Order: sequence, then C-alpha cells, then structure tokens
Amino acid sequence: MTAEDRVVGKPERLHPLFLLTGLGGSLRGMAGGYAFIGYLAVSGRAGTALLAAIALLAVLVFSMFLYWTRFEFRVGDNEIRIDSGIISRTHRSIPFDRIQDVDISQGPIARPLGIAKVKFETGGSAGAGQDEGVLHAIPLERAQALRALIRAHRSTGIAAVAASDEAEQPPVFAMDLPRVLLAGVFNFSLVLLAGLVGATQTFGDVLGFDPLSRAFWLSLVSAGDPIADYILAHRVAAAFAGAALLVLIGLATGIVRTLLREYGFRLDRTEVGPRRRRGLLTRTDVTLPARRAQAAIVGTGPLRDGLGWRDLKLQSLASDEGGKGDHVLAPLTRDEEVNAILAALGWRPLSATIAWLRVSSAYLWTLAAVLSPLLLIAALAALSAPNFALGAAVILGLLLIRWRGWKRTLYALDGDRLLFRTGWWRRRTVILPLARIQSIDLTENFVSRWFGTASLAFGVAGGSGFSAHVIPALPRQIARALRKQLLVLDP
Amino acid sequence: MDTMTDRELEAVGGALAPLQPVEPGYRHVLRVRLLVAWLPLVIGAVVLDNAVLADTPVYGLVSGGLVLVALAVVILAPDRIYRRLRYGLTERLLQVVRGWLFHIDTIVPFVRVQHLDVTRGPLDKMFGTATLVVHTAGTRNSIVTVPGLAPERAAEIRDIIREHIRTDYA
Repeated sequence: MTAEDRVVGKPERLHPLFLLTGLGGSLRGMAGGYAFIGYLAVSGRAGTALLAAIALLAVLVFSMFLYWTRFEFRVGDNEIRIDSGIISRTHRSIPFDRIQDVDISQGPIARPLGIAKVKFETGGSAGAGQDEGVLHAIPLERAQALRALIRAHRSTGIAAVAASDEAEQPPVFAMDLPRVLLAGVFNFSLVLLAGLVGATQTFGDVLGFDPLSRAFWLSLVSAGDPIADYILAHRVAAAFAGAALLVLIGLATGIVRTLLREYGFRLDRTEVGPRRRRGLLTRTDVTLPARRAQAAIVGTGPLRDGLGWRDLKLQSLASDEGGKGDHVLAPLTRDEEVNAILAALGWRPLSATIAWLRVSSAYLWTLAAVLSPLLLIAALAALSAPNFALGAAVILGLLLIRWRGWKRTLYALDGDRLLFRTGWWRRRTVILPLARIQSIDLTENFVSRWFGTASLAFGVAGGSGFSAHVIPALPRQIARALRKQLLVLDP
Repeated sequence: MDTMTDRELEAVGGALAPLQPVEPGYRHVLRVRLLVAWLPLVIGAVVLDNAVLADTPVYGLVSGGLVLVALAVVILAPDRIYRRLRYGLTERLLQVVRGWLFHIDTIVPFVRVQHLDVTRGPLDKMFGTATLVVHTAGTRNSIVTVPGLAPERAAEIRDIIREHIRTDYA
C-alpha cells in the first residue's frame, strides 16, 4: 500500500455481475432501437430484424463491458473518488462531509445476487438524477460498510456502536401487510384505466377491440341473446356494472402500485435521522438526515381523515427516489405514530392543545366575488336552457368545497415553529420550523385588497413546486404582525 | 391573535426599516423595456390590419387601439411601477415591496442568503442603474431582485449582506 493509497484508498471496481444487473436498465433505455427492430419485423424482414437485435445486444454488452473496465472508485479517509468514462474521463471526488444521504437500493435481479446500487446524495442540484454519485453494482456488504464508514465520519465515534445495535431495536414505525393493502385501497387510481382507454383508442381499430363502443359489447353477447336483451332492457344495471368495474380497476391499480412500493415498510431510528426500508421487488434503504429536514407535512384526505388515517412526509433538500419530491416517512399512519416519528426526528410532537387560529372568511368571499358573475350568468341561462343549471350547480359545489376548506384552514405559532393546515380535499398540516424559513412574501392583489386581506407565502428549501407553503387570506394587520413575529423569533 | 406591539418588536430588533425608493433612472429602463415589449405587438397588429382586415369596416381599429394602449402603458406604467417599488434594509433583513394590482412584499433575512449577484444589462448601463440579485435556498422565491439601484448602492448592499452570510444550514 503506497502513501497515496492510504489517503485516497485502493481502487475498486464494480461487481462483475454489473453486466447482468445493469443490462436491464440499458435495455430499457433503447426504445428507439426496438422501434426500428419492430419496424423491420413488421415489414417482413424478420431475418434483418433478428440480426439487428443481436447487433444491438452485442453493442450494449460491449459498451457496458467497456464502462465496467473504465469505472473505478476509491474510498479514502475523507472522500470517495469515482473515475469513470470511456472516452472522456470524469474524476469526481465527493467529500464525506458533503454526503447527506446514502441510498442503497436493490432491484429484482440484484437481490438474489447480493448486489446493491449505492447513490450518494450530496444535496447539490446537479447530483440528482446524474450518474456521477452512483455506484451501480457493488456487493451489499460493501455497500453497508461504506454507509457505516460515511456515518462514522459524520458523527465521529457513536456511529459504529449504534449501527450494530440497530438490528435489535424495535422500529419507530413499520407497516404490516394488511396496513400496506389498506394504504393501497386509499391509493385508488384510474391511471391504468386512462392508459387502457388511450391504448384502445390508438390500437383498438386494428385489433378489433374497442370496449368503449356499444357495438363491441353487443357483438360479444350476441351469442347468448338473452344476455343482450337483458342488458338492453336494463340500462341501469349495465351502468352499475360498468361503474363497479371502474372501481375494481382503480382499486387493483392502487393496491398493486402501493404493494410494490411500500411492502415491508420499516422506519428505524439512527443517530443521523430516520432510516427507511421498503419495496417488494426493488428494495430501497434510505437514511434521511434529521439536520436536512426543512418541514414535516402531515397529509390526509376527506375519507382517510374520517377514519383517522394520515400520511407523513418530510421536505428536505434532497428529493425522494425517482425525484418525487418530499420523502415519505409513513404512507398510512395514526396520529400517535406521527408523533412517535416526529420524536425520532428530534421534533416536538403535535400537541392536541394547540390554539389554532382561523383565517379570514374573505378566503371564501374572494372566490365568491370572482365566481358570482359566472353564477349569475349560469342561473339566468338556466331559465331558458335547463342544461345550464348543471353549470350553476358546479359553481355552487366549488363554493361549498371552498367553505368547508375555509373551516379547515388554520394556523398557529407553536414556540419556534409555525403550524398551518389547509384544504378540504388535500388536507395538509405543515410543521415549519422558523429557522427553515428562507424568505417571506406578503401578497395582496386587487381582489383581496377589497377584503383587507393578504396571504403569507414562505420560501422553504427543497420540496416540489406543488408544495408551496402559503397561509391565505389573513387580515392585513395580522399578516404583518405575524410576519414580524416570525422574523423576531427566528434565531 | 396574540401579537406583539410595535414597541415590543423594536425592543427585540424585529422592526422593519423605513422603505426607500430606487433610482429615478429606473423609470427610463422600464420605459425602454416596455417599448421593446410592445413594439412587436403593434407591428403585428398593423400587419394584421393591412393583410386580413383591409377590406372590412373594422380596418384600423385593432392597430389604432393597440397603439393607444401601448402609448398609455409606455407613458404611464414606468412612473407607477417606480412609485410602488420600495426597498428597506435593517441590520438583519432585506425587504422589497413592489406592485399594486398584484402587490408583493418580500422579506429575506440576511442569514438565509446563499449568494449574491449585482447585474448590469446594457439598459442599466445606459441609465446608471444596477440590479441586486439575492439567492436563497427556498424553492419558492429562491431569487429576490432589487432592480434600479445605483451601482455603488447595489455593491454597498451586497457587501452588507455578505458580512452576514454564514454557511450554517447544511
């Protein structure tokens, strides 16, 4: 071992089986090639298509082999160095100090082989989604050793002890199979159906399969005439069956998607922050450093709320796997479990005795003021054309939801953090530590000015664009006073 | 709600500074910018008028109307925007107030600032102004700008804020 090796570490390569596990990803990225082969095959040149497929595979395997031979990483005392690139070489060094998360994930092929993919989350905007901080395939033990090493470096001393205890500690939060399935039920989704409809619209004519046309169903049941007669005679029953089918598809989609993602959900306490493991086919293992947490978001919906279910997300500088924004800490949970998880983060629990304050009723009236001309027009038109009554009803429905939403739009100052909850459909309770507020916007416009209200919008690091943190419709004086207070309390 | 009085706030240093206007030259920057923005529209309207509407009774209405609107905007808007644009600086924070129809009042604590730019475009150079750009880590509002500052003033504010930047968040 030379002196340099001691500082920057010995060169290591990816696991040779990378050729196997990486092939899946490469194959997925070759859509253009498949289209070409498919075209060749369809246009009757099957031999050429086969040759092209073999050539494509050969090129893929060869380029992956080249990638493998040219990829090296070294684990030093203070940093990881990754040398990669076939023609243009990249030498990247990631200091341990800058590594915020170490994500370990295992795909369905990698799991039986004991190989894992390791991703170093550095929080830099360039880090996300790029290959530079990724070790595509290394043995699982090596991956875990790497993570332990980086943790030990970050919180010198305690880490090594804590890591060994981890296995025996009970989880902070875990989901058994029934809970995961229940989460799937709440995850009702018609995405698959939309895809099916789209596909039949595109290909249905060719395949002679179009479930949206009545002729298709008629021809299907024409063999048994009594059924056709029954369906024609009982339109209501048919519509009912159709609706039931929709619900079934939606439920099945939700359950399968949730099962794949959340199976074996387990959250453990580590010295840096919660560690999450989940997934059926692709098992992911993510540690979320508590220091990087910007805000906690407790979400629910009208139905889930009625049954007392919540989900808990954490807004942090890095985004969750697949770049989906906030990190899910618990997909389906109870209030007391939320508090337990918050405690594991080192945050105070949400007490039941918070003095929530309601925003101004202008929240409702501004929308009413904007919609009232439309409502008037629809109501007048409904006198001559009854169809417009539906439009009026929709507008009234919007106002009703807004009214219910207003009753749920609350805020409270809870020591060194701001709490606010919004919405009737998407019910969110945001816990925002004052120290995490990057900027405050006080916004008025020509409608809200009539009502003497303003909204406060908080700039918070990380998160997705949809998770803007806004307290709407505060009386102007209160908005100003609250803003001042937040700035004073901010250390 | 249980708010502090202004005196209490001042005692703990939370009071906001009196707001200041930016350089008068900023009005000219705005005027040229608006002119550049509206000119293509006016030209488009004239083309439309002569190419499509030449033989209709509304000939001249679109381009004439648009010219009037553009003139009104170019003449009136810069003064109004300028009058509504104010900024304030205390020992701890920067405040930027702008707009009336859509009024936005932004506060950025110095300790939250990540990095700072002072930018000067060709128009800024022509009329002796500069724009201070303050970057925070937030996703919303991560860039707060103070346009129309005198270049020396922009540099001065930048230096004041720079003193406060600490890399304590990571």
